Amino acid sequence: VKSTKSQSIPNFSGAPGLVSVPPGFSMPSVPPPSVPGQPAGETGSPLPNPGTYEECHRKCKEVFPIQMEGVRLVVNKGLSNHFQVSHTVTLSTLAESGYRFGATYVGTQQTGPAESFPVMVGDMDNTGSLNAQVIHQLTSAVRSKIAIQTQQHKFVNWQCDLEYRGDDFTSAVTLGNPDVLLGSGIIVAHYLQSISPALALGGELVYHRRPGEEGAVTSLMGRYTGNNYVATLTLGGAGAHATYYHRANDQLQLGVEFEGSMRTQETAVSFGYQLDLPKANLLFKGSVDSNWVVGAVLEKKLLPLPLSLALGAFLNQKKNTFQCGFNVTVG
Amino acid sequence: MAGIEELSPAAGPVETRPPEGEIDEDEDEELDETIMERLWGLTEMFPDTLRSAAEVTASGSVTVAKKLYSFSRTALWVGTTSFMILVLPVVFETERLQLEQQQLQQQRQILLGPNAGMSGGMPGLMPPAPVKM
Repeated sequence: VKSTKSQSIPNFSGAPGLVSVPPGFSMPSVPPPSVPGQPAGETGSPLPNPGTYEECHRKCKEVFPIQMEGVRLVVNKGLSNHFQVSHTVTLSTLAESGYRFGATYVGTQQTGPAESFPVMVGDMDNTGSLNAQVIHQLTSAVRSKIAIQTQQHKFVNWQCDLEYRGDDFTSAVTLGNPDVLLGSGIIVAHYLQSISPALALGGELVYHRRPGEEGAVTSLMGRYTGNNYVATLTLGGAGAHATYYHRANDQLQLGVEFEGSMRTQETAVSFGYQLDLPKANLLFKGSVDSNWVVGAVLEKKLLPLPLSLALGAFLNQKKNTFQCGFNVTVG
Repeated sequence: MAGIEELSPAAGPVETRPPEGEIDEDEDEELDETIMERLWGLTEMFPDTLRSAAEVTASGSVTVAKKLYSFSRTALWVGTTSFMILVLPVVFETERLQLEQQQLQQQRQILLGPNAGMSGGMPGLMPPAPVKM
């Protein structure tokens, strides 16, 4: 059995612990009251828990606007403290228009002020495609997640994730699309260790196997947290990825991202900023890219109604293509 | 041919053009076509290096001017659309906020008296009317 690097390694820089999903079928984001995000660093031990491996680049990525296309109406309704329902209607010119129904259940086992477990999130499309996640805290240090994704009736992604948070380290193992009959699957192992209160180093190992071929990709990551900035660097077999996040003041946040891929031999630099004006109920994100792409998203809360409007525009100066869209969120 | 007619005794005493005149007249009609060639011929008096240098400079500056024009057009478009997308919405919203705050201030002034311009100001009270005994 020779190990070769496959061309079609799935990209694991999506949502925590999940394989990246095809467009239109993104995993639902877990709603804020029950986000299984980074817990507060342990105050007792000298070195804090560094958080998860995927969260390291997240702070910078959140500054950048997302590309919007078409019209989207989202109605969120909380039926009780534990249960929340959402209806999403998407009208678009490039992709399929559709309706999506989502439900979130947050359990009763409370581990922190903002976290409760188990969390079950489900999403169903009008074509019958289902996304579902179950997140549960098995013990005080171990958290597990199971996620499945189907396209109509066919199972596209199914994975199981186990994460262990130690005093000053975090390790996670993800098993993706295991198929015992075919003998195929993907195993991802993450490890992140706090070296000092500001520096965290970690590594990732991806092993994938299909009938007839198998391969592994490793990458190393370092993250340095300063007073008001976070710098992260990931180097691996698949390429290099560096991000820098800077908080200029309580209104302005900046992010710079550099990405280089070994496979396509391309590099890209993006610069993004986020302007937060709570007095004007405004959140503005803008980005400029080295591919001559300029984009911005403007989010405005239309008080006194619990209504929020988001307008987005993306312009590719080189190819002269333009995409705009808007979202209305109720509740 | 016209010159021959002039020389005949029937032409009259006035016109006696010098021979160069005939040649000139002949070439007068062709002057429009040949004036450029004559001017071009004048340049042949300059040395070759100077002529080629001038030619290169002239064509180069024309090319540069064209490129500069098209570059400034593209730059203006890119700059305007990028400014429109990245900066303009924030400018609109901040100005709107300022106007709203100004309006609120004005309303407060009208409602509570001229001393109540700031949010922490004391409202101006009317003095109590004197009671007539």
